[in-house]
Amino acid sequence: MKNFFRKVAFGLGPDDKTPSDPLKWATNQLNDIPEFSWKGKILPEKKLRNYYRDYVYGDREVLRKKFKNDKDGYKREKNKLRHATGQKFWWNLELCIRYSEALKSETPVLAKLWYFWGNHFAISEKDFLAQYTTGAYQREIIRANMNQNFEKMVQEATKGWSMIHHLDNEQNIGPKSQSAKWAREKGKKRGVNENHARELLELHTVSPNCGYSQEDVIQMAYIMSGWRPEWGKKRLETGDVHFDPNAHQPGSKIVLGKKYKSGRKGLSNAITDLVNHPSCIEFIAMKLCRYLITDNPTKEMMEPIIKAWEKSDGFLPEIHKAAIEVAFNYSDQYNKFQNPENWLLQMSKMADVDLIPSPAFMDLYKIGNKPIRDQRALEYLVDELGQHPYLAKQPNGWSDISEDWMSPELLIRRLVYAREAYYKKSGNSQTKEFYEEMIEKNYDNPGEILKIIGQHRELVHKHVILFNLPETLRS
Amino acid sequence: MKISRRNFLKGSATTLFLAGFNFPVLANADKKKNLVIIMLRGGMDGLCAVPIIGDKNFEKRRKDLILDKTIKLNSDFALHPKLKNFHNLWQNNLGAIVHATNIPYTKRSHFDGQNLMETGGHIPYAIKTGWLGRGMKLAELKGDGLALALPMPLILRGIPSNDNFYPSKKRLPRTELLQLLKSIYTNKSEHDLANMMEIIANRSMMNNGGTSMSRKNSSLALKAGLELKKINGPRVAVFEVDGFDTHAAQGGVNGSHSDSLIEMDSIFKSLEKGLGSEIENTLVLTLTEFGRTIEQNGGRGTEHGYGSAIFMAGGLLKQSQVYSDWPGLKKKELFEGRDLNSTIDARSVYASAMSSVFDIDFKRIQKEVFWGDELINLSDKLFKS
Repeated sequence: MKNFFRKVAFGLGPDDKTPSDPLKWATNQLNDIPEFSWKGKILPEKKLRNYYRDYVYGDREVLRKKFKNDKDGYKREKNKLRHATGQKFWWNLELCIRYSEALKSETPVLAKLWYFWGNHFAISEKDFLAQYTTGAYQREIIRANMNQNFEKMVQEATKGWSMIHHLDNEQNIGPKSQSAKWAREKGKKRGVNENHARELLELHTVSPNCGYSQEDVIQMAYIMSGWRPEWGKKRLETGDVHFDPNAHQPGSKIVLGKKYKSGRKGLSNAITDLVNHPSCIEFIAMKLCRYLITDNPTKEMMEPIIKAWEKSDGFLPEIHKAAIEVAFNYSDQYNKFQNPENWLLQMSKMADVDLIPSPAFMDLYKIGNKPIRDQRALEYLVDELGQHPYLAKQPNGWSDISEDWMSPELLIRRLVYAREAYYKKSGNSQTKEFYEEMIEKNYDNPGEILKIIGQHRELVHKHVILFNLPETLRS
Repeated sequence: MKISRRNFLKGSATTLFLAGFNFPVLANADKKKNLVIIMLRGGMDGLCAVPIIGDKNFEKRRKDLILDKTIKLNSDFALHPKLKNFHNLWQNNLGAIVHATNIPYTKRSHFDGQNLMETGGHIPYAIKTGWLGRGMKLAELKGDGLALALPMPLILRGIPSNDNFYPSKKRLPRTELLQLLKSIYTNKSEHDLANMMEIIANRSMMNNGGTSMSRKNSSLALKAGLELKKINGPRVAVFEVDGFDTHAAQGGVNGSHSDSLIEMDSIFKSLEKGLGSEIENTLVLTLTEFGRTIEQNGGRGTEHGYGSAIFMAGGLLKQSQVYSDWPGLKKKELFEGRDLNSTIDARSVYASAMSSVFDIDFKRIQKEVFWGDELINLSDKLFKS
């Protein structure tokens, strides 16, 4: 049962009391979206996107032209531009904000589900999105909608600048649209780009299980044609997303047998239908179970989540509560291999590792300067562990399947960084008593674990073994 | 994570993969033959690396990017003057080029293109294994070995027990601790974890007594050469060179495209040094996602294009040659009026190379690695049998 605290959150820290009603403790965290517990600076997405714009514009429109014969000058000035726009800093700040929710907030269960949704609607590695805007996107579009209907999250994620740009919808132009005609007159070809439409169906809503066809994908792309950032000479592709009727494919479209009229409302209407499709509900229920419980969720596990969905009309807090309750009920039967990020946060929480730099220290950063090394510590760490949350390799995000995280190299990382983490602990947590209490609080077989780590005398070795025991790797 | 796909344009980040240990016992005393792939990420400009000689169309469209003092290879083609090591190989019949070639991908996205150059497929992200991994599986090689990278590259996926390694700057815990964990895993029937711990504990090479080792390509290539040389060593190595995406200041002889080409050239040199006489039994091939536009852009760089070139090195080459079905550079001969066309499916070259190195019938590779796609067996033209 103690396993439950690690399964749905990150375990119990030294200051946490063991909740008398664990299920209630967890589900009570899911009704509201509290303020961030990070007390330092938090920048709006729009502002960060402007920094991204300054970088893209400065590089593409200024430096490339100015230094066309001087690659050393180009490199030097481009480096300056990186710092002038905070390229090396922002994502570190975002990681501080992100990890404070796991380690310092009253709502770690909400945090664990936030990471789930951020990964479900992943912005994968593209251009410099990770360095500037992906963290903010996960705050403003994903987390902010966790007390809303699933539909609202899909609507906003789909039409948000990050996703539109990430999945090339700005290049999705109806072949019979006005824009395509103008382009043809200039001898250029413009047409549909299916990328975003395909991912909306495959990854974000109904999944291939629903049996859509290639024609459905194309029709969906037609519906989405015209949704693009407002172009400007200075802001380039970083303008707010709007619906450009000139780029929209005229005529009605049919997706999964349903007809949608031409125009800007088509996308919203199509999303409404997609999120209410049984395949979508089942898909999300399966993914929640897979994330929290096991690689191979059973129908019985998914059922209560599907019911909660139907009863609440897709209201996320109810869906979350149902998922957490299922995790609670199966807590003793299933353990899920934890991905590197969740593993790191568990270790940091339970062993009181000083993972996150202080807000005061991060706020010392001045734009234009190179951030100091310790301000970038988190970026290096998550990369070394093999899972930078803003650098998923593909639009399907980081894998939820255990096997994908089990390789010698990734295991080495856990050995090495468990050891590193030990030395980032405060002195009073580097005692035998601290570990005994922590193990008692967080594990269902404390006696056995104490016996195992008792085989090593040095505390740092006990620490490394503890956090690489199957009981820790799987929760 | 094993299932990811690229280390994209990360400045000078470079990696090496060694794999293909445990090859079937060479009962008939055959030679051990090695295959090395160098992935050139960002779109290698074949026309910058191996320019055509005396083509007015070319000179007109690229007037600021034409190189001085190129090295003449034959009456039609020259070599980038900084590729000195490759030129040495060429002079010893150990270097050759396939020109106007590319994977069958024309959409000009790095992401999709790099995915396809590694999977060998047609639809981006549809295939989850790499052509080299599938070829090695067909050759009954195991992945069990060393890959100096995190994560495992897509190109090598598809063989069982893939292993990856990236020189960590941190120290591994002592062996007895690893052994203890291994016995715990075994006791708890965590067999996968136990196997991995076994691999970790037994890892001898590259541990370097716990100190960090250089991640530079030239030193990795030297190490790779020494390992490939061993009769019981790996048979496959994969490198990556980034930075070919030169939209600006691509420049001439000292431009940014040259920097990446020089890095590639240093791999040839270090490999040759490490391999010693075993260069004779080795084949090195480059791979890229696309070439670059003929026309220079406003920033004296080039945009994403189509046809490119493949560099080849090693003693398994038939001879020094520029092998090409040259499509020409007149406007109408260009792909979509802007790019060097590709007249040879690059996968034909890779399939033929695997056929020669792994001693597998070309048709089997064509069928089982490349889904029976229409590829041409170039083994007789390019490689020694």
